[in-house]
Amino acid sequence: MDKTALILFVISAIAIVGIGMIFSWIVAPKSKNAVKEEPYECGIPTKGTSFIQFRVGYYLFVIIFLIFDVETVFIFPWAVVMKSMGMTAFIEIVIFFVILGLGLLYAWKKNALKWD
Amino acid sequence: MSFSEIFLMRNELLLVTAVLVILIADLSFDADKRKQFYYFSIFLVFIVTVSGLFPAKSGLLFGGMYQTGPLQAMMKNILNFSTLIILLQSWGWFSHVNQQKRIGEFMILLLSTLIGMGYMISSGHFLMFYLGLELATIPLAALAAYDYYNSKSAEAGIKLILLAAFSSGIILFGISLIYAITGTMYFEGAGQLIDGSTLSVLGLVLIFTGLSFKISLVPFHLWAADVYEGSPIALTSYLSVVSKGSAVFILLIVLNTVFASLNDIWDPLIYIIIIITITVGNLFAIRQRNIKRFLAFSSIAQAGFIMLGVINNSAFGVATVVYFMLVYMFSNLAAFGVVSAISAETGKESIDDYKGFYGTNPKLSLVMMLAMFSLAGIPPIAGFFGKFFLFTAAAEKGYYILVLIAVLNTIISLYYYLLIIKTMFIEKSDTPIPFFKSNLPMKISLVICVLGMVITGFTSGVFDYMVEMSDQLFSDMY
Repeated sequence: MDKTALILFVISAIAIVGIGMIFSWIVAPKSKNAVKEEPYECGIPTKGTSFIQFRVGYYLFVIIFLIFDVETVFIFPWAVVMKSMGMTAFIEIVIFFVILGLGLLYAWKKNALKWD
Repeated sequence: MSFSEIFLMRNELLLVTAVLVILIADLSFDADKRKQFYYFSIFLVFIVTVSGLFPAKSGLLFGGMYQTGPLQAMMKNILNFSTLIILLQSWGWFSHVNQQKRIGEFMILLLSTLIGMGYMISSGHFLMFYLGLELATIPLAALAAYDYYNSKSAEAGIKLILLAAFSSGIILFGISLIYAITGTMYFEGAGQLIDGSTLSVLGLVLIFTGLSFKISLVPFHLWAADVYEGSPIALTSYLSVVSKGSAVFILLIVLNTVFASLNDIWDPLIYIIIIITITVGNLFAIRQRNIKRFLAFSSIAQAGFIMLGVINNSAFGVATVVYFMLVYMFSNLAAFGVVSAISAETGKESIDDYKGFYGTNPKLSLVMMLAMFSLAGIPPIAGFFGKFFLFTAAAEKGYYILVLIAVLNTIISLYYYLLIIKTMFIEKSDTPIPFFKSNLPMKISLVICVLGMVITGFTSGVFDYMVEMSDQLFSDMY
């Protein structure tokens, strides 16, 4: 078996990553101070610890937002080919909408959209 | 693609419909009608299972991304059927007050994984395979952590999601190497172009490793015992039968289509893995005191036996694996059914609690005995025929030493399976589990399992049919 390809592959994989890291470590100027060590939080100075509990509601809202965000992503390519594909495309997108709508209905009825 | 062709994926379409209907039904059934909702969901799964029994056509969809035929349909039938039995067994657990509201969630997540497994088994393209695999894994982690007041359940969920991330990373790396060599992601094309170079061997090993995590072969089994112990029993049985079964099926398909020409390389690989898996699984099972951990290690050992059929890369080998999965489903689900009934009734899961169980609940302990005999492979029961065919498959390839080791391990396994029977029948206890009546769905499921264990062994037609179907994998049918 031809092992040269494999050995080259492994060596070059390590080399590309390793050289980049070592080079930037050598070249980059280093400075340390208290402000720099802080976690980044939109530029506002951090208050208290970052390990706090927060509402699970945030996650639910984000997930529901994501559903409709992805929906728009799918509608763009559909809109491009809609004319050439005709009725089939229309039926398919309706099925897609119905499934997504059911998801929203489910979240709504399960009180996922209520904040308190 | 014409309109009629879409019905080639009738199994997945029906499952998607079932999930959507359950979603709506979950909203419309009131809090006091949860039992009706449960029966309604069972009915939907029953319809899906029965519809799978109609003869399946073979064909390709989406330009070869999705392929199906009688063999794939049979595999999916086994998975659907196991899911039906598991759902029948879980009413005792669902009926607890704090679970009743969440039956719908459980059903939806469970059936989504089944859809994923359907697409995974029918995939003809590595991306489809990967998507199916992810759909079949991620909801499982949510289900493992389903019991949210139990810290062990949360642990199981975390372990399962980490394992899923890790193993799919490995599989993706393997897929990318195969793509680098062949330039195609289709199973058919990759199978023809694969050249046996070192890179392709690395790809094979990585994909095999990733799937081994799912099948829980040693040395990739470390997650199994903890996850099985922490998860709700319904999920534990699902993991050990359906999830494991689907991974075995896709492994069969991938090895025999994409990597068919690398047979010389994966044969010794599986050879060594079988020996380690069976031995480690058996030796660890002896020491377990928790019945769920015990069944976890017993199922690891069984996975090693299943690989005996995979090593024989012919229609006969494939048929032995599918046949053994059918038998294993009946016997393992019977054992899990009894464990689940006891756990739902009394909350006890330690083997020591089973002392004197025969005195109080003779029928359930007889079912457990049959299941243990079948798992161990004692002649009149189907488990014997399943193991016998697997041994034949390995012997046909000339691996006599391997078969000898497997037979020796069967004897070890007989020891610990009999220990359970001894605990139930002979040992006495001051506080045995009191007599209780199982609920109706549980009774139905146990009757099905017992009938399956007894009848499957005696009907030789089943195996012949499977051999005939398995030929499809080796001839160009699409």
